[in-house]
Amino acid sequence: MQNVIFGIVTGSILAVATLGFALVRQTENFLNIAHAQMMALGAFIGVVLVDTYGMNIFLAGAITVVGLGALGVVLSAVFFQPVRHQGGTVLLFTSIGLALMMYAAILALFGTQARFYPDVSGSLYRFAGINIATNELVIIGLAFGSIAALQLFLNGTGLGRAVRAVASNDDLARVRGVPVRTVSNTIWFISSAFGAMAGVMLGVLGAVNTEIGWHNILIVLAAAVLGGLRSITGVILAGLLLGIMMDVSALFIPTSYRPVVAFGVLVAVLILRPEGILSIQRRKDAVVA
Amino acid sequence: MTNPIFWVGVLTLAMIYSSLAMALNVESGWGGMWDLGIAGLLAAGSYCYVILTSDADLDMRFAPELSMWVAWPLAALFTGLVAFAIGAPALRLRREYFLITTLAFAEIIRQLVVIQADLTRGTLGVPNINRPFDSFVTGRDYNYVLLGIAVAAAAVMYLVTRQVGVSPFGRTLRAARDNEAVALALGKRVNRMRIKTFILAGVLIGATAPVYLFYIRAVSPQLFAPGITFTVWTALVIGGIGSIRGGLAGAVVLIVFTEAVGLIEVDPAHINILVAIEPFLVGLLLVLVLRFRPDGLFSERSAFGAGNRPSRDSAGDSRPAGATQGSGG
Repeated sequence: MQNVIFGIVTGSILAVATLGFALVRQTENFLNIAHAQMMALGAFIGVVLVDTYGMNIFLAGAITVVGLGALGVVLSAVFFQPVRHQGGTVLLFTSIGLALMMYAAILALFGTQARFYPDVSGSLYRFAGINIATNELVIIGLAFGSIAALQLFLNGTGLGRAVRAVASNDDLARVRGVPVRTVSNTIWFISSAFGAMAGVMLGVLGAVNTEIGWHNILIVLAAAVLGGLRSITGVILAGLLLGIMMDVSALFIPTSYRPVVAFGVLVAVLILRPEGILSIQRRKDAVVA
Repeated sequence: MTNPIFWVGVLTLAMIYSSLAMALNVESGWGGMWDLGIAGLLAAGSYCYVILTSDADLDMRFAPELSMWVAWPLAALFTGLVAFAIGAPALRLRREYFLITTLAFAEIIRQLVVIQADLTRGTLGVPNINRPFDSFVTGRDYNYVLLGIAVAAAAVMYLVTRQVGVSPFGRTLRAARDNEAVALALGKRVNRMRIKTFILAGVLIGATAPVYLFYIRAVSPQLFAPGITFTVWTALVIGGIGSIRGGLAGAVVLIVFTEAVGLIEVDPAHINILVAIEPFLVGLLLVLVLRFRPDGLFSERSAFGAGNRPSRDSAGDSRPAGATQGSGG
């Protein structure tokens, strides 16, 4: 049971990271491999602010999230806008190039030593034989709070509706006078901020090292495909499911094999049910009939 | 300023990456199958070769101590089998779903190597790979022998992939990539061709794996992280996806460039920066080539004669990601 709780914590973080990734996939139509490097960058900037400058963890987290959200907008303008007309393949490979450059920047700025957040786990609560620490509760709360906020933004505001319009039909939105450029900037801000937030959360729970970007992009891809990229609920469920499966499997096999579990599930789902776990409609763009 | 042995090593590595990039070009450039699982195929070929040839005193559960000349083709065949096992389910998927599946399979293979420690020595790795002719030529001179082997391997790879590229099979493959509906209407068995191509690429990568091992000299699962896949892809993108010479030229440019920059003398206090230079340059090169010369150094059109295909503007560049995986429903 304890591992299920760990899994829910891992899964909430994964859901936040994957939502940011899926948002770009839906509106800009490419897989942004650099997304996970944004997570790594978030984890590192957070740890430097807290550990080196003694900042409060919430303040450090907020600064990291907003700062990296803004960085995401700048990076998209510099790297992705100029090659946008060339289609998804060029964008995908550009994002691989950007990921390598961000990885290099992380290596150069922070070195290869693993870093740790000072102990922020807080007090431990027990009910019914399950332990849960304050920081885990806060992570779950923040994760679902921000997902709910995103949901409200997308459904309740004009700009949110514009984002959804671009996601469902780019050309039609443009013709109808949706401010496509503002929408694009908004999406990059939200996506990068969600990535950064997931990065800080991952860092709080474990060690911060330079490889977490490469390690997590695979898991984020798995969660995104499992959830079916279109549905927010699907992404949340996929994140939770993957998180729980990875952590529960740790009872039977050593923890270093967690990724194998994630990919095993991914491959099985793709082959048995390529439409994703939630969607009823067959994922037509995914399968050669 | 530097000794020639260093550059012999750099050229050897460049030839190995060239071979991999040319093999990748067959399936991804012409077949339109965006394979991010090269590391996995390379791992399969490498470990097959290592297990078949390793010394029995390394305590591996299965160590037949075969001659390397027997093990080499067996490694290629085994990798072809692995490619079939991956391709059969994965080729039912399209676009990014195919790409993710191949990436996931590569990572599963790498983790399996770690888990099956009694067979592969896991994270310990296998040191001192047997190398051809090393009883005749020893010491530093062996580097020249190795360069010869790598050049020969790249030459064979060039000739084989060129033969595939200009053959009716290669033409049909490219036709199916550009317009699957037409290829199907002409009675071409597109799915069967794709799986054949996928297996062929597996065999070619498996045949290159031992050369890579001769260069590295020791094998461990860490070698087969996704990074090597991205490097091969970068080489192919720089050289030009779809062109016969593209992989060759791209890998030479990429490897010579990054290794030469590694020669810059850096204050030990700034060792972080030295570590960061290589991924930074690979990334920057990739971004710049895509921005200013998206066809790469050699375009596909230049490889097959300009008149053979409609202009890239109408047929090539507007292709969305992986639409190449077919449009039939």
